[in-house]
Amino acid sequence: MAKVQPAIISCGFCEHASKRSDVNMAELVNEAVEDCLKKAGSIEWKDIDCVINGNMPAFEGANMPELWMTDHMAAKNKPLLRVTTGGTTGGSVCIAGYYAVASGLYDTVLAVAFEQQSCGNTTVGLSSVALGEISIFPALGYDYDRLKRNLGAGAAIGIASYQAMNYMRRSKATEEDLARVVVQNRRNAAKNWWTHLKMPTITIDDVLDTPYISYPLRFGMVCPASDGACAMLFTTEEKAKQIADIPVYVNGVASYSNETAIVGIDCAGAGQVDPCEQLGAVKSAEIAYGQAGISFPNKEIDYAEVYSPFPNQELMWVERVGLFEENKAPEAYRNGVSAFNGELPINCSGGVNSTNAIGASAMERPAEAALQIMGKAGNQVPKTVHTALGHGWGGAINFITHVVMSDEPQRKWR
Amino acid sequence: MPLPDYEKKSYKRTRTMHGNWYLASYRYKFNLSRTKVFLKGLAKGHILGLKCRSCNTVSFPPRLICGRCLVKPDQWVRLPETASVSTFSANYDADDKNRERPYPIVAVQQDGTDTVWVHNLTDKFDFHDVYVGMPLKAVWAEERKGIWMDIDHYEPIEDPAIELNKKEEEM
Repeated sequence: MAKVQPAIISCGFCEHASKRSDVNMAELVNEAVEDCLKKAGSIEWKDIDCVINGNMPAFEGANMPELWMTDHMAAKNKPLLRVTTGGTTGGSVCIAGYYAVASGLYDTVLAVAFEQQSCGNTTVGLSSVALGEISIFPALGYDYDRLKRNLGAGAAIGIASYQAMNYMRRSKATEEDLARVVVQNRRNAAKNWWTHLKMPTITIDDVLDTPYISYPLRFGMVCPASDGACAMLFTTEEKAKQIADIPVYVNGVASYSNETAIVGIDCAGAGQVDPCEQLGAVKSAEIAYGQAGISFPNKEIDYAEVYSPFPNQELMWVERVGLFEENKAPEAYRNGVSAFNGELPINCSGGVNSTNAIGASAMERPAEAALQIMGKAGNQVPKTVHTALGHGWGGAINFITHVVMSDEPQRKWR
Repeated sequence: MPLPDYEKKSYKRTRTMHGNWYLASYRYKFNLSRTKVFLKGLAKGHILGLKCRSCNTVSFPPRLICGRCLVKPDQWVRLPETASVSTFSANYDADDKNRERPYPIVAVQQDGTDTVWVHNLTDKFDFHDVYVGMPLKAVWAEERKGIWMDIDHYEPIEDPAIELNKKEEEM
């Protein structure tokens, strides 16, 4: 349990686009940090005690970018930590910020996650990440044509289409259900200032008209590759009460690692036989809810941001983290439960499906959930949000992060 | 094909400097001790799985370490030639001449194991007919050389449970 109760007082974003050629990587980060400090009231950069940052250097080809952008992150003469865990980098940076405050070592901590994907070739980066898994195939006599055919579906979309096939078989969800999720996300994104793909008039037919990339996922369902950054400011309960109108208390964090999926390390068989089972997400959700004292997540949580680059994953995650009953999510989406003005709004920022700066994506989820509690979000939901969830997914398809936050501090008797 | 309402913004304030990453210069090392036995088995026409003595999970292809109990598995077991489809997808390649008939990519679970691996179906097979849990049988290559491709492809076999599944779906 935390020695000190950490609280989020401010979250900042930069504008996301496919190619931000008006700024370089350092300026991009600076935009998010400035936006964060601008909203933080009396906090100035001199008051920050520690800076934690992270991105996926392999995806943009910039090796150790934190070495040359300390000035832009307000990190001069301060401890600077770096966290990198693939797709969950943002979530891990957020959790590291929580740890730094909760341990009692630092009072005010700035957490920054960023990615400028237009700098490099993400596919090259992905192949270097998966080197331990696939580079041995040709050495053992797997001919190149077949390797290209079997793994050429690409690391991320290949695994997502496997998950989609198993999920659609379990829940009897149709392609129309997947398209409905995309439409909801992209329409929400149009109302949020920092998002990438803004499509206010997109319809289900528009999505279903696009060609297949990997069955059953179509071009219109796939997330973009964005440039962007996100910053969060953590501080102690006492300070947060003085500074912020509505401080957001982080009551539960959990991170869970699982086996890699589909291709194991060194060409071994992979243990995740059913890729949509996701026991890691179930387990880490349980731990985070336990810390936050939440027994009935489907009733107690008012707003959720889940990490869903592909629409089938959004349906899958909301079930696995306990917000909906198993196989009931497509029906709930059809009835508008998860819509902007529904009972349990989900991904009203537009989600990862509309904006995906990989390193920053998993941090934008808790950041946007915190802004919804503060009442300062770009696409603020009409209902009052007391408790919210930010979820992240990534690594070699096997890391999960959960951040549960509320407008009330953790109960002291725990 | 661009989707509606998407406007590309034009930013011009930076100059781009080009650089390259040479991934081919990486040297990745891996342990052959288990894989050699597995490949020798394939040359003889034996499908071998590696069993963990602690938790009895069987991995195929073999693993160096059991993720559940951190034990090095060392018990080789013969596996049947039958398998089942664990999950599948179809790849629409950009330079694929025939987009009408994409290749089915199948994750195969060999019977008697707890792991999956990626393999091919018969090339003439249409992926629309594939379903999760479909029973398969390994087809050997004409000449066995002790490499992975000794199992040339998998072939679907008659499914006794197919009518049961259909009845369940109707209910």
